[in-house]
Amino acid sequence: MSSDQRAHLLDAMRPKYVGAPIKRTEDPRLLTGKGDYTADRKPDRPLHLAFLRSGQPHARIAGIDISAAQAAPGVVAVLAADDIADDFKPVIPFSRMPNYYATPIVPLACKKVRYVGEAVVAVIATSRYLAEDALELIEVDYEPLRPIARAEMAVADGAPLLHEEAGTNVLIAREFKKGNVAADLKAAAVRVSGRFEMTRKAPLAMEPRSCCAEYDKRRDAITLYTSSNIPGIVRDAISESLNLPGHRLRVVAPDVGGSFGSKGSLYPEELLICIAARKLRRSIKWTADRLEDVSSSSQAFAEVVDAEMGFDANGVATSLEADVIGDVGAFSIYPWTCGLEPVQVVSFLPGPYKIASYRGSVRGVATCKPPTGPYRGVGRPISTFVTERLMDLGARALGIDPLEIRRRNLVRAEEFPYRIASGIIWDKTGFVECLDAAAETAGYDALRKQQAEARKQGRLFGIGIASYAELTGIGSRISAAPGMPINTGSETAKITIDSTGSITAAFGVASHGQGLETTLAQIVSDDLGARFEDVRVVQGDSDEVPMSTGTYASRSAVLGGGAAKHASKLLQEKIKRVASHLLEANADDIEVHDGNAVVLGTDRAVSFKQIAKAVYSDMKTLPVEAREELSASYTYDPINGTTAAATHIAAVEVDPATCFVKILKFVVAEDCGRIINPMIVDGQVHGGVAQGIGAALFEELIYDDDGQLLSASLVDYVIPSAPEVPLMDVVHVESESAVAGGFRGMGEGGTIGAPAAIANAIADALSPLDIDVSILPMTPERIFRLIEQAKLKAKGQADD
Amino acid sequence: MKPAKFEYVLPSTVGAAVAALVASKGEGKVLAGGQSLLPLLNFRMARPAVLVDLNAISGLSYIEERSDRIAIGALTRHRELEQSPLIAAKLPVMAAAMRHVAHLAIRNRGTIGGSLSHADPAAELPMLSVFYDATISVQGPDGRRTIAAEEFFVDALTNCLEPEEIVVEIEFPILQHDGWAFEEVARRFGDFALASIAVSVRPGPAGLKEARVALMGVADTPLRLREAEQELIAMELDNRTPQRFSEIVVSKVSPNDDLHASGEYRKHLLAQLSKRALQTALAAKG
Ligand SMILES: Cc1cc2nc3c(=O)[nH]c(=O)nc-3n(C[C@H](O)[C@H](O)[C@H](O)COP(=O)(O)OP(=O)(O)OC[C@H]3O[C@@H](n4cnc5c(N)ncnc54)[C@H](O)[C@@H]3O)c2cc1C
Repeated sequence: MSSDQRAHLLDAMRPKYVGAPIKRTEDPRLLTGKGDYTADRKPDRPLHLAFLRSGQPHARIAGIDISAAQAAPGVVAVLAADDIADDFKPVIPFSRMPNYYATPIVPLACKKVRYVGEAVVAVIATSRYLAEDALELIEVDYEPLRPIARAEMAVADGAPLLHEEAGTNVLIAREFKKGNVAADLKAAAVRVSGRFEMTRKAPLAMEPRSCCAEYDKRRDAITLYTSSNIPGIVRDAISESLNLPGHRLRVVAPDVGGSFGSKGSLYPEELLICIAARKLRRSIKWTADRLEDVSSSSQAFAEVVDAEMGFDANGVATSLEADVIGDVGAFSIYPWTCGLEPVQVVSFLPGPYKIASYRGSVRGVATCKPPTGPYRGVGRPISTFVTERLMDLGARALGIDPLEIRRRNLVRAEEFPYRIASGIIWDKTGFVECLDAAAETAGYDALRKQQAEARKQGRLFGIGIASYAELTGIGSRISAAPGMPINTGSETAKITIDSTGSITAAFGVASHGQGLETTLAQIVSDDLGARFEDVRVVQGDSDEVPMSTGTYASRSAVLGGGAAKHASKLLQEKIKRVASHLLEANADDIEVHDGNAVVLGTDRAVSFKQIAKAVYSDMKTLPVEAREELSASYTYDPINGTTAAATHIAAVEVDPATCFVKILKFVVAEDCGRIINPMIVDGQVHGGVAQGIGAALFEELIYDDDGQLLSASLVDYVIPSAPEVPLMDVVHVESESAVAGGFRGMGEGGTIGAPAAIANAIADALSPLDIDVSILPMTPERIFRLIEQAKLKAKGQADD
Repeated sequence: MKPAKFEYVLPSTVGAAVAALVASKGEGKVLAGGQSLLPLLNFRMARPAVLVDLNAISGLSYIEERSDRIAIGALTRHRELEQSPLIAAKLPVMAAAMRHVAHLAIRNRGTIGGSLSHADPAAELPMLSVFYDATISVQGPDGRRTIAAEEFFVDALTNCLEPEEIVVEIEFPILQHDGWAFEEVARRFGDFALASIAVSVRPGPAGLKEARVALMGVADTPLRLREAEQELIAMELDNRTPQRFSEIVVSKVSPNDDLHASGEYRKHLLAQLSKRALQTALAAKG
């Protein structure tokens, strides 16, 4: 399934564990049902929480009658906004961005509901069944307001306001500009344009969101287990909101069954469950059911992009202009803000290309839907879709092969670091190398021949290419979301050798499927000189490191990995110093590997266990001042971060009988820098591409004009299953980055490239019918309609 | 997403199950494989006061040949039908269709009685029952009666049973045919059909002597196209027959739009599948 073209590193120079296809240490536990998820927590006599959620898209709450629910069997408490008003401060998703309105986040709807699925009342009972029974007894008196179901409705004259205090439904507006786009477009030999749309998606993790607030009466303290990928951010935000200091609030993300972005923001439910636990002085559990998860977790995309690109006669893209409208839903999320997704679209539109002039403007408008938030790829699945469609349209207009036009526009090896027109700086990455490797692996020329043959038989066979670049592992100089006040630029590793000689490496990053327990242990083992099996990685626990923001934005390998490397080196120095006493050798002459400190060129060695004993237990061997605690901590900040890039190539066939798309071939050539674990990298690419196939062909949250979600179950929200995901070839172009370890982030790329590559392949397949692809997903229904329209058009032309 | 409160009974005979339904005064519901009922309970869209579980009743799961018919017990699981050599030999259209029913885990639980009673307009077994002219035996407080498959399905998710009646057996006449075909398009393998057709033919001295056509996914119930069958028999067979047949089939339906497909697209699919199915059936007749 995957080949390896990592020619740049000599095998002999490879470290022992980094680069090795080590099986994930977490898998035996996760695959045999022994994982420990939030819902598996068994605190002492927990209570269970159920939410009454709004069935109204937009309404004033005139009154809430909870009396019958309070009297229902098993009910311990019923809480509405008024009952908790004094228990928290609203959380403000602040940003320094101009033209931004930060909608306050509150645990339960207050005075108004703004989307179907918003939590209005919480019932806490002795079982979830009884809690749900009581929900039915609550009467909410809604005064319906006009719903805002679509972005266009939000900006229409006389539109109702979702947040009156904002004075507008445009929560964020921004523009990026470089050069004179209007003049360059005018001068262009060829101009291509379109209106492109990516519909709304649900991130849809296998494990729905889940919280368990465990209350400690003795200390008025809470340990919140939450299915989150940002436990540190959740801890800090709840601490502030509930005025509960960090030593009485611990937030743990235990095993987490996927996130894809949906568990990467602070949620009202997390605030509410802590408020309730404190009020009732009891432990409380809540797990979203699938309906709640689909209708109240952060959603994705929902953007329409009007874009135009100009080319000179040689196929060099000179200019790009785009107006983006993002349907961001009812609230701005914490900490990323509602600017995260739509602003990212305009900042990444120029992609890996040397487009000289650019204007990209974006508006994020409030609608009666759940907030949009991070989703694997953030903004770039759409920006790549748009830019790559325009590249293909330009290639077609100029009669240049799609592969060749990309080669003429990609930033080349000698041109890095390169600042693209939106201001992003790409550091040295294998853009052209990925393009070439993908074309070679796909057998591009042979594919084109195959296509010519297929076309002769009247078959709809198409080939699509998508190249993209992304920023990963970003440090403190760039904010993970625009203008955000929290620091997302550093991560801490704390590595300790205990008195038994075992190693615990603690991190704030939080794996939700990425396999960090394995990859971080690989790095620590190499850099410390330990045996892999002796290293335990602890992560996702706010008590382990002073501050952390978690795992998102393809950062954990770069930031967590960088911190691991530095902390390991510091600890290794300590080991060498102790060993130099024990072995009576110079510290510089000591080498540490496989859990032993060895005098170079001799067989004189001491094990970590012996070293630990000398430091901690046996008080005779070392002078007092040499008994350094075997622990090191390091907070790593890569300052800028690093680029990651890939080219995806898809070959598809559209069956005109069924209007289904079959993916015949899928190739990814990616540069994620030095590979820590090739099996994990391949897995991330496979999963990301599968998700991208969902965006390209299947997944769509459909809201009607009244703001009601029509595709709220997995019967109607269609995701790709195993038979819909083809075998793929993954090629690694391993060019080392400048950050510690030479890593690059790679968790999101699959989802960035696949939709664009498939869209281009479908457009190529349908090009004999003169059909353009400008909306995703390309469902059979949409393809049917496009083909019907094309037939009508052809008929009309024939009739004329 | 937890069901509302219900009483649970586990009778060991059909008679006791019927008695439990009678005692529930119209508030009872039968549980077979649970694959359709449990989601409805969890969404609280169904809220029976009493759940009568059929799974402890022995003798309700069998596939038997009785001279010119195959009798199938109501509790027979989809997977058993899919794997039965008897079904493969005697009811090949059913054998071909069963692998399109949901996914393996669901086929392991789902039952023929449950599928018919649930009456999903895009489900395979209801369509097969009208295709084969099956008779459905049901038991109620007044004993047994039989219902012709075409009478059984009243509307989408609605059958003609009285609240105290239980499906106990379905008899499928063994159909004499020389060529047949089953075609289905679903969004993903195992999903409910967007459109599907079953066709069988028996050649006569000139043209066809017999023909059968049934559809699903394109109306509120599965459809048996008796008129189209007659028109097909009346046709002269030539290479334009499949196309003409598909036009006839499509002219008999007016499917609604839903989230997964517009009526127009379903008609397009049906046209393609009809053509393909008749081609296959005619080719196989030799
Ligand atoms: C994800 C998914 C995909 C599916 N895809 C398909 C598909 O592609 N094609 C398809 O055909 N089906 C599909 N199904 C439905 C599946 O086949 C069900 O098993 C079937 O519809 C119901 O059978 P059951 O035995 O589970 O019935 P249950 O769920 O137990 O009952 C269904 C209904 O029938 C009633 N009932 C059950 N048995 C009797 C009886 N003997 N007498 C009277 N009433 C009775 C119940 O009271 C209830 O109202 C799918 C289901 C799921 C969950």
